[in-house]
Amino acid sequence: MFKCLRNLTRAGAVAAFTLALAAGVSAQTNTSGTVTIGGSVSKFVELNSGGAVTLTGNSGGGVTTDGVADSALAVVVNLGELGPANTNGFVKASVPLKVRSNTNYVLSMSAVVSSTGSTANRILAADFGFGLGSFSRSAAVGVHTTGVDTDNTSGDPTNVANGAVNATSGRFEYVSARSNLGAFSASTTVLSGPRVLNAVPRSNTNGLVVPAVFSVKPQFYEDGTTTATATFTIAAP
Amino acid sequence: MTLRRAFKTALLCGLLCWAGAGARAQQFDIGSGGLPTITGATGGTVTGSADVTQNLVVNVNFGDVSPINTSNVVRVVVPVSIRSTGPYQVTVTAAGLFDPNPQAVQRTDIGFGARNLRQLGNKARDCNRGTHLFRTPFDNDPAASLAFDAQGRAAYPATLASLSTPVVILSGPELTKGNSITKKEPDNGYVFDAVFVIKPQFFAAGNFNVTLTFNIAPGPNVQC
Repeated sequence: MFKCLRNLTRAGAVAAFTLALAAGVSAQTNTSGTVTIGGSVSKFVELNSGGAVTLTGNSGGGVTTDGVADSALAVVVNLGELGPANTNGFVKASVPLKVRSNTNYVLSMSAVVSSTGSTANRILAADFGFGLGSFSRSAAVGVHTTGVDTDNTSGDPTNVANGAVNATSGRFEYVSARSNLGAFSASTTVLSGPRVLNAVPRSNTNGLVVPAVFSVKPQFYEDGTTTATATFTIAAP
Repeated sequence: MTLRRAFKTALLCGLLCWAGAGARAQQFDIGSGGLPTITGATGGTVTGSADVTQNLVVNVNFGDVSPINTSNVVRVVVPVSIRSTGPYQVTVTAAGLFDPNPQAVQRTDIGFGARNLRQLGNKARDCNRGTHLFRTPFDNDPAASLAFDAQGRAAYPATLASLSTPVVILSGPELTKGNSITKKEPDNGYVFDAVFVIKPQFFAAGNFNVTLTFNIAPGPNVQC
Protein backbone atom coordinates (compact mmCIF):
# COMPACT_ATOMS: atom_id res chain seq x y z
CA MET A 1 0.00 0.00 0.00
CA PHE A 2 2.79 2.35 0.92
CA LYS A 3 4.51 1.64 -2.39
CA CYS A 4 1.29 2.45 -4.17
CA LEU A 5 0.96 5.67 -2.19
CA ARG A 6 4.55 6.62 -3.10
CA ASN A 7 3.93 6.07 -6.78
CA LEU A 8 0.73 8.11 -6.65
CA THR A 9 2.52 10.96 -4.91
CA ARG A 10 5.36 10.91 -7.43
CA ALA A 11 2.90 10.89 -10.34
CA GLY A 12 1.01 13.75 -8.76
CA ALA A 13 4.17 15.83 -8.42
CA VAL A 14 5.08 15.25 -12.06
CA ALA A 15 1.57 16.12 -13.17
CA ALA A 16 1.54 19.32 -11.13
CA PHE A 17 4.90 20.41 -12.50
CA THR A 18 3.83 19.59 -16.05
CA LEU A 19 0.62 21.57 -15.64
CA ALA A 20 2.49 24.62 -14.38
CA LEU A 21 4.95 24.41 -17.28
CA ALA A 22 2.19 24.08 -19.85
CA ALA A 23 0.30 27.10 -18.43
CA GLY A 24 3.45 29.23 -18.84
CA VAL A 25 3.63 28.77 -22.68
CA SER A 26 -0.05 28.72 -23.66
CA ALA A 27 -0.66 32.54 -24.21
CA GLN A 28 -0.99 33.76 -27.82
CA THR A 29 -0.36 37.47 -27.46
CA ASN A 30 1.63 40.15 -29.17
CA THR A 31 3.07 43.18 -27.43
CA SER A 32 3.82 45.30 -30.47
CA GLY A 33 2.28 46.40 -33.77
CA THR A 34 3.14 48.78 -36.58
CA VAL A 35 1.59 51.59 -38.58
CA THR A 36 3.51 52.56 -41.70
CA ILE A 37 2.78 55.97 -43.16
CA GLY A 38 3.80 57.36 -46.54
CA GLY A 39 2.77 60.07 -48.96
CA SER A 40 3.88 62.29 -51.78
CA VAL A 41 3.98 65.90 -52.87
CA SER A 42 3.75 66.73 -56.55
CA LYS A 43 5.01 69.86 -58.25
CA PHE A 44 2.32 72.51 -58.19
CA VAL A 45 2.13 75.82 -60.05
CA GLU A 46 -0.77 78.20 -60.24
CA LEU A 47 -1.60 81.39 -62.18
CA ASN A 48 -4.54 83.57 -61.27
CA SER A 49 -5.58 87.16 -61.52
CA GLY A 50 -3.67 89.43 -59.18
CA GLY A 51 -6.48 91.97 -59.00
CA ALA A 52 -8.14 94.81 -60.89
CA VAL A 53 -6.86 96.18 -64.20
CA THR A 54 -5.55 99.73 -64.45
CA LEU A 55 -6.38 101.47 -67.73
CA THR A 56 -4.93 104.87 -68.56
CA GLY A 57 -4.70 107.13 -71.57
CA ASN A 58 -7.85 105.72 -73.11
CA SER A 59 -10.45 107.68 -74.98
CA GLY A 60 -13.63 105.71 -74.68
CA GLY A 61 -13.34 102.01 -74.08
CA GLY A 62 -12.88 100.58 -70.64
CA VAL A 63 -12.35 97.37 -68.70
CA THR A 64 -15.04 95.01 -69.92
CA THR A 65 -14.19 92.05 -67.65
CA ASP A 66 -12.00 92.98 -64.76
CA GLY A 67 -9.51 90.88 -62.88
CA VAL A 68 -10.54 89.50 -59.50
CA ALA A 69 -7.71 88.60 -57.16
CA ASP A 70 -7.21 84.85 -56.81
CA SER A 71 -9.80 84.09 -59.49
CA ALA A 72 -9.06 82.71 -62.91
CA LEU A 73 -7.39 85.17 -65.27
CA ALA A 74 -10.07 86.18 -67.77
CA VAL A 75 -9.62 89.87 -68.46
CA VAL A 76 -11.18 91.74 -71.36
CA VAL A 77 -10.13 95.31 -72.03
CA ASN A 78 -11.42 97.73 -74.64
CA LEU A 79 -8.59 100.17 -75.34
CA GLY A 80 -11.01 102.57 -77.03
CA GLU A 81 -9.99 105.00 -79.72
CA LEU A 82 -6.46 104.38 -80.99
CA GLY A 83 -6.52 106.90 -83.84
CA PRO A 84 -5.25 110.50 -83.67
CA ALA A 85 -8.48 111.58 -81.99
CA ASN A 86 -6.88 110.20 -78.87
CA THR A 87 -4.25 112.78 -78.00
CA ASN A 88 -2.69 110.82 -75.16
CA GLY A 89 0.83 109.47 -75.47
CA PHE A 90 -0.15 105.84 -74.86
CA VAL A 91 -3.20 103.83 -74.04
CA LYS A 92 -1.88 101.54 -71.32
CA ALA A 93 -3.46 98.60 -69.54
CA SER A 94 -1.72 97.04 -66.53
CA VAL A 95 -3.08 93.58 -65.75
CA PRO A 96 -1.94 92.07 -62.39
CA LEU A 97 -1.00 88.40 -62.51
CA LYS A 98 -0.53 86.27 -59.38
CA VAL A 99 1.95 83.40 -59.54
CA ARG A 100 2.13 80.66 -56.86
CA SER A 101 4.22 77.50 -56.77
CA ASN A 102 6.00 74.95 -54.59
CA THR A 103 8.72 74.49 -57.19
CA ASN A 104 10.57 76.36 -59.94
CA TYR A 105 8.15 77.92 -62.40
CA VAL A 106 8.12 79.28 -65.95
CA LEU A 107 5.48 81.77 -67.07
CA SER A 108 4.99 81.96 -70.85
CA MET A 109 2.76 83.93 -73.17
CA SER A 110 1.55 83.65 -76.74
CA ALA A 111 -0.44 86.30 -78.58
CA VAL A 112 -2.73 86.40 -81.58
CA VAL A 113 -3.66 89.74 -83.22
CA SER A 114 -6.27 90.21 -85.92
CA SER A 115 -7.62 93.34 -87.57
CA THR A 116 -10.41 94.23 -89.93
CA GLY A 117 -7.95 96.42 -91.79
CA SER A 118 -6.16 95.15 -94.85
CA THR A 119 -3.20 97.42 -95.38
CA ALA A 120 0.17 97.68 -93.72
CA ASN A 121 -1.20 100.67 -91.84
CA ARG A 122 -3.62 98.54 -89.89
CA ILE A 123 -2.78 97.87 -86.23
CA LEU A 124 -0.33 94.97 -86.14
CA ALA A 125 0.97 92.73 -83.37
CA ALA A 126 4.13 94.83 -83.32
CA ASP A 127 2.04 97.90 -82.47
CA PHE A 128 0.99 96.36 -79.17
CA GLY A 129 3.67 97.02 -76.64
CA PHE A 130 4.11 94.39 -73.95
CA GLY A 131 6.27 93.82 -70.92
CA LEU A 132 6.27 93.25 -67.20
CA GLY A 133 6.10 96.21 -64.90
CA SER A 134 7.97 96.54 -61.65
CA PHE A 135 7.51 93.75 -59.13
CA SER A 136 9.23 92.16 -56.15
CA ARG A 137 8.62 89.34 -53.69
CA SER A 138 6.85 90.66 -50.65
CA ALA A 139 7.56 89.71 -47.05
CA ALA A 140 4.03 88.44 -46.61
CA VAL A 141 3.54 85.28 -44.58
CA GLY A 142 4.51 82.20 -46.55
CA VAL A 143 6.27 83.93 -49.45
CA HIS A 144 9.62 82.40 -50.28
CA THR A 145 11.69 85.57 -50.26
CA THR A 146 15.03 84.17 -51.38
CA GLY A 147 15.78 83.47 -55.00
CA VAL A 148 15.65 85.62 -58.11
CA ASP A 149 12.79 85.97 -60.59
CA THR A 150 14.04 86.53 -64.14
CA ASP A 151 12.08 88.96 -66.31
CA ASN A 152 12.45 87.91 -69.95
CA THR A 153 10.75 91.05 -71.28
CA SER A 154 12.10 94.59 -71.56
CA GLY A 155 9.85 95.88 -68.85
CA ASP A 156 7.15 98.49 -69.16
CA PRO A 157 6.77 99.03 -72.93
CA THR A 158 6.06 102.72 -72.39
CA ASN A 159 9.54 103.25 -70.92
CA VAL A 160 11.48 105.64 -73.12
CA ALA A 161 14.17 103.10 -73.86
CA ASN A 162 11.68 100.61 -75.26
CA GLY A 163 10.28 102.60 -78.15
CA ALA A 164 11.08 105.19 -80.76
CA VAL A 165 9.81 106.65 -84.00
CA ASN A 166 11.19 104.87 -87.03
CA ALA A 167 13.23 107.46 -88.87
CA THR A 168 12.22 106.06 -92.24
CA SER A 169 8.55 105.23 -91.82
CA GLY A 170 7.77 107.67 -89.04
CA ARG A 171 5.85 104.92 -87.29
CA PHE A 172 6.33 104.52 -83.59
CA GLU A 173 7.84 101.13 -82.90
CA TYR A 174 8.71 99.10 -79.82
CA VAL A 175 12.32 98.37 -80.51
CA SER A 176 13.61 96.41 -77.50
CA ALA A 177 13.71 92.62 -77.33
CA ARG A 178 10.36 91.03 -76.54
CA SER A 179 8.73 94.45 -76.06
CA ASN A 180 5.73 93.93 -78.32
CA LEU A 181 3.25 91.17 -79.12
CA GLY A 182 4.97 90.48 -82.41
CA ALA A 183 7.66 88.64 -80.43
CA PHE A 184 5.08 86.31 -78.89
CA SER A 185 3.46 84.68 -81.90
CA ALA A 186 4.64 81.41 -80.33
CA SER A 187 4.64 80.69 -76.62
CA THR A 188 7.65 82.48 -75.16
CA THR A 189 8.99 82.71 -71.65
CA VAL A 190 7.99 85.89 -69.91
CA LEU A 191 9.12 85.19 -66.35
CA SER A 192 10.80 82.39 -64.45
CA GLY A 193 12.04 81.76 -60.94
CA PRO A 194 12.26 79.52 -57.88
CA ARG A 195 9.40 78.37 -55.69
CA VAL A 196 7.11 81.24 -54.77
CA LEU A 197 5.64 79.91 -51.53
CA ASN A 198 6.96 78.03 -48.53
CA ALA A 199 5.00 75.19 -46.94
CA VAL A 200 1.72 76.99 -46.31
CA PRO A 201 -1.80 75.87 -47.19
CA ARG A 202 -3.54 76.87 -50.38
CA SER A 203 -5.87 79.03 -48.31
CA ASN A 204 -2.91 81.35 -47.80
CA THR A 205 -3.58 83.79 -50.66
CA ASN A 206 -0.14 85.34 -50.83
CA GLY A 207 2.01 84.94 -53.94
CA LEU A 208 4.07 86.83 -56.49
CA VAL A 209 2.03 89.61 -58.12
CA VAL A 210 3.39 90.78 -61.45
CA PRO A 211 1.88 93.51 -63.67
CA ALA A 212 1.55 92.54 -67.32
CA VAL A 213 1.54 95.82 -69.24
CA PHE A 214 0.01 96.31 -72.68
CA SER A 215 0.20 99.57 -74.58
CA VAL A 216 -0.70 101.13 -77.92
CA LYS A 217 0.44 104.55 -79.05
CA PRO A 218 -2.40 106.34 -80.88
CA GLN A 219 -1.36 106.85 -84.52
CA PHE A 220 -2.85 107.33 -88.00
CA TYR A 221 -3.68 103.63 -88.26
CA GLU A 222 -6.01 102.32 -90.93
CA ASP A 223 -9.51 102.56 -89.54
CA GLY A 224 -11.11 99.37 -88.29
CA THR A 225 -11.26 97.08 -85.29
CA THR A 226 -8.38 95.10 -83.90
CA THR A 227 -8.40 92.27 -81.39
CA ALA A 228 -5.41 90.97 -79.50
CA THR A 229 -5.58 87.85 -77.35
CA ALA A 230 -2.72 87.08 -74.98
CA THR A 231 -2.65 83.63 -73.39
CA PHE A 232 -0.49 83.11 -70.30
CA THR A 233 0.66 79.64 -69.26
CA ILE A 234 2.54 78.57 -66.15
CA ALA A 235 4.49 75.34 -65.89
CA ALA A 236 6.94 73.52 -63.62
CA PRO A 237 10.08 72.67 -65.59
CA MET B 1 7.33 4.59 2.44
CA THR B 2 6.05 6.20 5.63
CA LEU B 3 3.08 8.50 5.83
CA ARG B 4 5.41 11.27 6.89
CA ARG B 5 7.42 10.96 3.69
CA ALA B 6 4.27 10.82 1.62
CA PHE B 7 3.06 13.95 3.33
CA LYS B 8 6.35 15.72 2.58
CA THR B 9 6.11 14.70 -1.04
CA ALA B 10 2.57 15.94 -1.35
CA LEU B 11 3.54 19.16 0.36
CA LEU B 12 6.37 19.56 -2.14
CA CYS B 13 3.91 19.02 -4.99
CA GLY B 14 1.64 21.65 -3.54
CA LEU B 15 4.49 24.08 -3.18
CA LEU B 16 5.50 23.50 -6.78
CA CYS B 17 1.96 24.14 -7.97
CA TRP B 18 1.64 27.30 -5.90
CA ALA B 19 5.04 28.54 -7.02
CA GLY B 20 4.05 27.93 -10.62
CA ALA B 21 0.84 29.93 -10.23
CA GLY B 22 2.52 32.78 -8.36
CA ALA B 23 5.24 33.10 -11.02
CA ARG B 24 2.76 33.49 -13.98
CA ALA B 25 3.78 36.77 -15.65
CA GLN B 26 1.33 39.53 -16.28
CA GLN B 27 0.19 39.28 -19.84
CA PHE B 28 -0.20 42.03 -22.41
CA ASP B 29 -1.44 42.22 -25.93
CA ILE B 30 -1.82 44.86 -28.64
CA GLY B 31 -3.48 44.35 -31.98
CA SER B 32 -5.95 45.59 -34.53
CA GLY B 33 -8.93 47.43 -33.10
CA GLY B 34 -10.89 47.38 -36.32
CA LEU B 35 -10.79 48.73 -39.83
CA PRO B 36 -8.75 51.94 -40.19
CA THR B 37 -10.27 54.83 -42.15
CA ILE B 38 -8.97 57.72 -44.26
CA THR B 39 -10.72 60.93 -45.31
CA GLY B 40 -9.70 63.96 -47.33
CA ALA B 41 -7.10 62.14 -49.41
CA THR B 42 -6.27 62.55 -53.08
CA GLY B 43 -5.02 59.18 -54.23
CA GLY B 44 -4.55 58.02 -50.64
CA THR B 45 -5.37 54.63 -49.11
CA VAL B 46 -5.23 52.77 -45.81
CA THR B 47 -5.09 49.01 -45.28
CA GLY B 48 -5.52 47.02 -42.09
CA SER B 49 -7.63 44.28 -40.59
CA ALA B 50 -11.21 44.76 -39.46
CA ASP B 51 -10.75 41.74 -37.17
CA VAL B 52 -9.86 42.72 -33.61
CA THR B 53 -8.23 39.33 -33.07
CA GLN B 54 -5.54 40.12 -35.64
CA ASN B 55 -2.17 41.76 -35.21
CA LEU B 56 -1.73 45.50 -35.67
CA VAL B 57 -0.31 45.89 -39.17
CA VAL B 58 -1.54 49.04 -40.91
CA ASN B 59 -0.29 50.77 -44.04
CA VAL B 60 -1.26 54.37 -44.70
CA ASN B 61 -0.74 56.29 -47.91
CA PHE B 62 -1.72 59.92 -47.39
CA GLY B 63 -1.69 60.39 -51.17
CA ASP B 64 -0.75 63.72 -52.73
CA VAL B 65 -0.54 66.40 -50.05
CA SER B 66 0.42 69.25 -52.39
CA PRO B 67 -2.12 72.04 -53.00
CA ILE B 68 -3.64 69.87 -55.71
CA ASN B 69 -5.46 68.29 -52.78
CA THR B 70 -8.08 70.87 -51.88
CA SER B 71 -9.27 69.10 -48.72
CA ASN B 72 -8.75 70.86 -45.41
CA VAL B 73 -6.85 67.88 -43.98
CA VAL B 74 -6.09 64.26 -44.71
CA ARG B 75 -7.15 62.33 -41.59
CA VAL B 76 -6.49 58.69 -40.75
CA VAL B 77 -8.03 56.86 -37.79
CA VAL B 78 -6.40 53.57 -36.72
CA PRO B 79 -8.28 51.62 -34.02
CA VAL B 80 -5.88 49.76 -31.73
CA SER B 81 -6.93 46.96 -29.36
CA ILE B 82 -5.18 46.42 -26.05
CA ARG B 83 -5.43 43.66 -23.44
CA SER B 84 -3.68 43.09 -20.12
CA THR B 85 -3.88 41.18 -16.88
CA GLY B 86 -2.17 43.99 -15.00
CA PRO B 87 -1.51 47.73 -15.11
CA TYR B 88 -0.24 48.67 -18.54
CA GLN B 89 1.26 51.43 -20.62
CA VAL B 90 1.27 51.95 -24.36
CA THR B 91 4.32 53.53 -25.96
CA VAL B 92 4.89 54.69 -29.51
CA THR B 93 8.03 55.41 -31.43
CA ALA B 94 8.48 56.63 -35.02
CA ALA B 95 11.36 56.06 -37.39
CA GLY B 96 11.57 57.12 -41.02
CA LEU B 97 13.09 59.07 -43.87
CA PHE B 98 12.26 62.69 -44.51
CA ASP B 99 13.69 65.15 -47.04
CA PRO B 100 16.18 67.47 -45.32
CA ASN B 101 14.69 70.40 -47.30
CA PRO B 102 12.82 72.31 -44.56
CA GLN B 103 10.00 73.04 -47.01
CA ALA B 104 9.44 69.31 -47.61
CA VAL B 105 7.11 67.29 -45.37
CA GLN B 106 8.72 66.88 -41.95
CA ARG B 107 7.77 64.89 -38.86
CA THR B 108 6.33 68.09 -37.45
CA ASP B 109 3.84 68.24 -40.33
CA ILE B 110 2.06 65.02 -39.31
CA GLY B 111 -0.21 65.54 -36.35
CA PHE B 112 -0.73 62.61 -33.99
CA GLY B 113 -3.26 62.01 -31.26
CA ALA B 114 -4.82 59.16 -29.27
CA ARG B 115 -8.36 59.17 -27.94
CA ASN B 116 -11.72 57.45 -27.58
CA LEU B 117 -10.92 54.48 -25.32
CA ARG B 118 -13.80 52.02 -25.20
CA GLN B 119 -14.43 48.41 -24.22
CA LEU B 120 -14.30 45.60 -26.72
CA GLY B 121 -16.96 43.60 -24.91
CA ASN B 122 -18.02 41.63 -21.86
CA LYS B 123 -14.56 40.40 -20.93
CA ALA B 124 -13.16 43.90 -20.60
CA ARG B 125 -12.23 44.73 -17.02
CA ASP B 126 -14.16 47.49 -15.27
CA CYS B 127 -11.93 49.29 -12.76
CA ASN B 128 -13.37 51.77 -10.29
CA ARG B 129 -10.22 52.66 -8.40
CA GLY B 130 -7.95 53.40 -11.34
CA THR B 131 -8.37 55.40 -14.53
CA HIS B 132 -7.03 55.06 -18.02
CA LEU B 133 -5.05 58.16 -18.88
CA PHE B 134 -4.14 59.53 -22.30
CA ARG B 135 -0.99 61.57 -21.90
CA THR B 136 -0.61 65.20 -22.85
CA PRO B 137 -0.01 66.37 -25.60
CA PHE B 138 -1.41 63.30 -27.35
CA ASP B 139 -4.89 63.44 -25.81
CA ASN B 140 -6.61 65.17 -28.72
CA ASP B 141 -7.71 64.89 -32.33
CA PRO B 142 -5.03 66.77 -34.28
CA ALA B 143 -7.56 67.72 -36.97
CA ALA B 144 -9.48 69.71 -34.35
CA SER B 145 -6.34 71.11 -32.71
CA LEU B 146 -4.68 72.40 -35.88
CA ALA B 147 -3.24 75.91 -35.76
CA PHE B 148 -0.67 77.91 -37.75
CA ASP B 149 2.78 78.98 -36.71
CA ALA B 150 4.33 82.38 -37.39
CA GLN B 151 5.40 81.22 -40.85
CA GLY B 152 1.85 80.23 -41.76
CA ARG B 153 2.58 76.51 -41.60
CA ALA B 154 0.14 74.07 -40.02
CA ALA B 155 1.07 73.03 -36.47
CA TYR B 156 -0.34 70.51 -33.96
CA PRO B 157 -0.06 69.90 -30.19
CA ALA B 158 1.72 66.60 -30.90
CA THR B 159 3.39 65.32 -34.02
CA LEU B 160 5.60 62.47 -35.12
CA ALA B 161 8.52 64.63 -34.04
CA SER B 162 7.46 63.86 -30.45
CA LEU B 163 8.09 60.14 -31.04
CA SER B 164 11.78 59.89 -31.87
CA THR B 165 12.16 57.77 -28.72
CA PRO B 166 9.42 55.59 -27.19
CA VAL B 167 6.86 57.81 -25.52
CA VAL B 168 4.02 56.73 -23.25
CA ILE B 169 0.71 57.82 -24.72
CA LEU B 170 -1.71 55.83 -22.57
CA SER B 171 -1.62 53.94 -19.28
CA GLY B 172 -4.03 52.50 -16.78
CA PRO B 173 -5.21 49.52 -14.73
CA GLU B 174 -5.73 46.02 -16.05
CA LEU B 175 -7.81 45.70 -19.15
CA THR B 176 -8.97 42.08 -19.18
CA LYS B 177 -11.09 40.03 -16.82
CA GLY B 178 -9.50 36.90 -15.48
CA ASN B 179 -5.91 36.03 -14.80
CA SER B 180 -4.70 35.20 -18.25
CA ILE B 181 -4.88 36.13 -21.87
CA THR B 182 -4.47 32.99 -23.87
CA LYS B 183 -5.39 34.57 -27.16
CA LYS B 184 -6.84 37.68 -28.70
CA GLU B 185 -10.58 37.48 -28.24
CA PRO B 186 -13.14 39.83 -29.72
CA ASP B 187 -14.35 41.02 -26.32
CA ASN B 188 -11.52 40.75 -23.80
CA GLY B 189 -9.99 44.20 -23.81
CA TYR B 190 -10.25 47.79 -24.91
CA VAL B 191 -9.86 49.81 -28.12
CA PHE B 192 -8.53 53.32 -28.65
CA ASP B 193 -8.12 55.43 -31.79
CA ALA B 194 -4.72 56.55 -33.04
CA VAL B 195 -5.34 59.62 -35.23
CA PHE B 196 -2.94 60.93 -37.88
CA VAL B 197 -3.45 64.20 -39.75
CA ILE B 198 -1.63 66.16 -42.44
CA LYS B 199 -2.78 69.40 -44.04
CA PRO B 200 -2.08 69.75 -47.78
CA GLN B 201 0.32 72.64 -48.28
CA PHE B 202 2.91 74.07 -50.67
CA PHE B 203 5.44 71.48 -49.49
CA ALA B 204 8.50 70.89 -51.62
CA ALA B 205 7.87 68.05 -54.08
CA GLY B 206 8.96 64.58 -53.03
CA ASN B 207 8.01 61.50 -50.98
CA PHE B 208 8.11 60.62 -47.31
CA ASN B 209 7.82 57.44 -45.29
CA VAL B 210 7.75 56.62 -41.57
CA THR B 211 6.97 53.56 -39.44
CA LEU B 212 5.38 53.81 -36.02
CA THR B 213 5.75 50.98 -33.54
CA PHE B 214 3.13 50.63 -30.81
CA ASN B 215 4.11 48.65 -27.71
CA ILE B 216 2.23 47.55 -24.63
CA ALA B 217 4.08 46.66 -21.45
CA PRO B 218 3.72 46.76 -17.66
CA GLY B 219 2.76 50.23 -16.55
CA PRO B 220 2.55 52.29 -13.39
CA ASN B 221 0.96 50.40 -10.51
CA VAL B 222 -2.66 51.49 -10.68
CA GLN B 223 -5.31 49.76 -8.62
CA CYS B 224 -8.25 48.36 -10.41
